[in-house]
Amino acid sequence: MIITTTGFVEGRPVQEYLGVINAQSIIGANIFKDILGGLRDVFGGRSKTYEKVIEQAKEDALRELTEKGQLAGANAIIGVDLDFETIGGNGSMLMVIATGTAVRL
Amino acid sequence: MKTWLGLYYHSHLSEPVEASVLAAENYIAIAWRNAEGTTEKVNWDMNAVTAIFDHSIQGTKITYSGQQNSRLIINGKQALDFILQTQAEKRKPWYKKERAKEWLRNLAIFLGIAGILITAYFLLVPWFSEKLASTVSVKTEAQFGDAVYQALDLSQQEDPEASVMVNEFFRKMEIRTSYNIQVTVVKGDIVNAFALPGGRIVIYTALLDQLTSYPELAALLGHEFTHVNNRHSTKSVFRQLGSKVFLGLLFGKMGSVTTVLANQADRFKSLTYSRSLEKEADLDGLSLLKERQIDPAGFSGLFGHLRSSTPESGVPEFLESHPDIDKRIEYINHASKDHTVKENPELKAIFEKIKQ
Repeated sequence: MIITTTGFVEGRPVQEYLGVINAQSIIGANIFKDILGGLRDVFGGRSKTYEKVIEQAKEDALRELTEKGQLAGANAIIGVDLDFETIGGNGSMLMVIATGTAVRL
Repeated sequence: MKTWLGLYYHSHLSEPVEASVLAAENYIAIAWRNAEGTTEKVNWDMNAVTAIFDHSIQGTKITYSGQQNSRLIINGKQALDFILQTQAEKRKPWYKKERAKEWLRNLAIFLGIAGILITAYFLLVPWFSEKLASTVSVKTEAQFGDAVYQALDLSQQEDPEASVMVNEFFRKMEIRTSYNIQVTVVKGDIVNAFALPGGRIVIYTALLDQLTSYPELAALLGHEFTHVNNRHSTKSVFRQLGSKVFLGLLFGKMGSVTTVLANQADRFKSLTYSRSLEKEADLDGLSLLKERQIDPAGFSGLFGHLRSSTPESGVPEFLESHPDIDKRIEYINHASKDHTVKENPELKAIFEKIKQ
């Protein structure tokens, strides 16, 4: 499975378009991470804690997107776009939406 | 998570098909299109797959114990590395896994922060509040006490004659203090007395009427005087303010349930503090009696009147602002063992005048 943000795969023309697919993942930072993130907010610097949460949410969304692509019979997903939104009270949760076009190369 | 394209052999003899492969933490998902053009998919459990590098094809060969005749070939070594690494991570005991390590570290930090906050709440905030309270001048305390006294609007019900005599009684006790102690006797059927910051002591006639000997009045004044002299009211106000500010900063943004719980817990804490202050007032009051050789039985007598006039509330001690009366009698008796008693005719005379 090839997953790419570009609209084409170098040297491999698209044989068949299987439709637009999307997947989303919503993840909370959890109370411990919120405390750690809060401390980082006080002292400054890179918040690895929140970076890991974003990484996890992105990974979950892409995994789901890949599974959907597999079910659609695709061997590649092109034009993948990742959107990040905060939701929930005080924006305490993070939503990642992954969208792409399932294709056969 | 990793994705690859690979060649999938469904059985020994079958032709290979191009398959899209998704390898996650727990499984490998393989999807391909069959001859009829429909999609087929299998999931292999990560624990049950075996991956080896096949040099003849320069690719990773993956087999699955649940599907003995199938195999998956992926070009290069990347898939092998990922599978071996994932399997090694899964075989580690739980506390050595990356995620558990992170959790344990987070938990340690959380407990550390909670420990610091609890220490601050129980030790630092009260200590700092009391330090602040001790910086309040006697004059300011008196102004505060006067303001409370005015607000209570008690002067209308005052018994001026009794007030004069009780003040006379207090002066004859010869207690040295920087506070200007003013005792006010107020007509009322409440069997009680209280002290305000700065030097005001209020006694209700109902309690005064019940007293049967001058040591009882001396005990009552000794107790209330200690509240004033040791700044108990001011300390309580500052401690409560300190706690409220601290809890407000801590829970200000949290839901109302958390706030209610925190406030209730805070009330229990202030009740404990209040009981410790009452005990201090009893024992310091007893010392005043001891220094003046007044009979310590005044305290037991006073507590007896308080008990007979207040019906058993049935409320356990930890919910009360004062210690249990039996306990108060017990520690007073214990502390007054080597007490020398000498009759004080002056105090006795004033007391008898009050009772007339």
